[in-house]
Amino acid sequence: MSVDKIVAQNVSMRFGDVLAIRDATCTIREREFVAIIGPSGCGKSTFLYLIAGFEEITGGTIKVNDKPVTGPGPDRGIVFQEFVLFPWRTVMENVTLGLDIQKVPAEEARRRAQKWITLAGLGGFEDAYPSTLSGGMKQRVAIARALTYDPEVILLDEPFGALDVQTKNYMIRDLQSLWTEANKTIVMVTHSVSEAVLLADRVLIFGARPSSIIADIHIDLPHPRSAEDTSVKAYEQEVTRILSAEVDKSMSMERRAAA
Amino acid sequence: MSAISLPKDGAVDTFDRFIVPLISIGLPLVLWEMLARSGAINNFLFPAPSEIFGTLWAKTGTDIDAGVMYSHVYYSMFRLLAGLGLATVLGTLIGILIGLTKWGRFIFKPLLSLFMPVPTLAWTPILLLLMGVDNKTTIFIVFIAASFEVILNVIAGIENMNVKVFWVARSMGASRLQIFFKVIIPGILPYLITGVKLGSGYAWRALIAAEMLAASSYGLGFMIYEASEFMDMTTIYGGLITIALLGYIIENVLMGALEKRTVAKWGVQVER
Repeated sequence: MSVDKIVAQNVSMRFGDVLAIRDATCTIREREFVAIIGPSGCGKSTFLYLIAGFEEITGGTIKVNDKPVTGPGPDRGIVFQEFVLFPWRTVMENVTLGLDIQKVPAEEARRRAQKWITLAGLGGFEDAYPSTLSGGMKQRVAIARALTYDPEVILLDEPFGALDVQTKNYMIRDLQSLWTEANKTIVMVTHSVSEAVLLADRVLIFGARPSSIIADIHIDLPHPRSAEDTSVKAYEQEVTRILSAEVDKSMSMERRAAA
Repeated sequence: MSAISLPKDGAVDTFDRFIVPLISIGLPLVLWEMLARSGAINNFLFPAPSEIFGTLWAKTGTDIDAGVMYSHVYYSMFRLLAGLGLATVLGTLIGILIGLTKWGRFIFKPLLSLFMPVPTLAWTPILLLLMGVDNKTTIFIVFIAASFEVILNVIAGIENMNVKVFWVARSMGASRLQIFFKVIIPGILPYLITGVKLGSGYAWRALIAAEMLAASSYGLGFMIYEASEFMDMTTIYGGLITIALLGYIIENVLMGALEKRTVAKWGVQVER
C-alpha cells in the first residue's frame, strides 16, 4: 500500500577520528511515524541531520523519494529541540517564513499559516514575538512553521527535550491529532521511551557508538494512545529492556575509555 | 535602612529623568553665572553662561553672523552621517566576509589588527594631500573612526549566530541572497546597532578634531578653531555646548529610537 520514502543503506558517518555511525540500514515508508531512540551520544541526531542533508555523509547512501540526499531541501522540514525561531519575526512571520522564501503571495501564505497556527493552539498569538512566549509555545511555533510550507517529510530532533515534564506530556497529548491531520512521513529522534511508544508506528533502536540500528519494533496500536494503556506499557517495557542493555554497554565502554 | 531606593511609581521616574539632570547641570551654571558677574573669576577665560547662550542665539539670528550657526551644524552633521553611513554599509560587508568566509578572514583580519591601534587623526595629513581641504577628507576620517567598531560587532554577531538558523532557512529552500537578507542581516542587527552606536561616538569626536585640521569654512570644529584665532571665548564655549547637545541627541535619541523599533521590540539584547 505504501511507498518507500526514505531508504538508508549502510550509512556510516565519521567526524575526524570518531566513527559515529556504522552500517545503519533502514527503510521508512510514506506516512510512517518513526521514532529513533538510543543512548545519548549514539549518533541518532547525526543520522537525522544526514537525512536532512545538513551534514555530508561519509559512507553509504540515503535516498529520499529515490533521489540521493545532497543537501537540505524543502521536501524535508525540521524541528529542533531548541526551537531555533527567528526572534525578529512575529509568530505569524515565523510560520510564513517557508512560504515567504518560496515566494508564495503574502495573503495565501497567511491563510495557510493560520490553519497550522490554530491547530497548534497558537490562536491569538499571531503578532507576538518569540521572546514573549513560553518554551512549549515556542516549540508549537517551530512545529507549525515546519508544517506550513508542506514538506513531505518532517524531521523532529528531540522536539520535547527542552520542555518541562508537565508541558511535555500536555504537548504530546495535544499534538497527536496534529500528526494525524498532517498525514506526513515523520522521523523523530528522542531519548524518551514513552514519547516514542506513544507517538510512533515504529521505533528504531540505535546501539552504542559506533552505532547501527539494533532493533526495529512496530507499535501496532491505534492512535491516539494513552500512557496508562497496558499494551502501551508493554511496548515501553520491551523497548526499555533492549535499550538498557545498550546503555550498559556504552557506559562500561566510556568507563573503560576513562580508565 | 538600605541606601538603594526602588522606583515606586511614575513620579519617581519623572524626578530621576528630568529633575535630577536639571539640577546637576543647572546648579553649576547658575554658580558660574554668579561668579562671572561678580568678577570673582576671569571674565575673558570664563565668560558668563548668559553671554555664551547670547552668542549662540545671535549666530542663529539675523545679526552680522546671519544664520552661520545653521551652516556649521549642517556641515558637521552632513559629514558625520555620510561617514557613518559609509562605515555602516562597508563595515557590515567586511564584518560578514570575515565572519563567514575563509578568504575574508585571510585578507581583512591582519589589516584590522594592524590599523586598529592607529589614532584616526594620524591619517589626516595623508588624506589632506590626497583629497585636499574638502568634505571628502573629513567624511573619510569619520568613516575610519566608525568602521572598526562596526566590523568588530558584526563579527561578534555572526559568531553568536546558531548554525541551525541557517539550516532551517536552507531546509525551506532559501537561496544565498535570501539567507543574506532574511537571516544574516536581521540576525546581526542587534550587534550592528551596538557597533554603530559605539562607532558614532568615536566618529563624532574624530570629526570635530578633523574639522579643526581640514575644514575650510564650516563645521563646528572649524568654528571653534577659527574662534580661537580671534580669542572669541564665547563662541568656543558655545561650540562645546552645541557639540555636547548634538552628541547626546545622536547617541541617545537617534540610536535609542532605532533600538526601540528593533532589538527592544524583539526582546534581543546584546550583552556588553
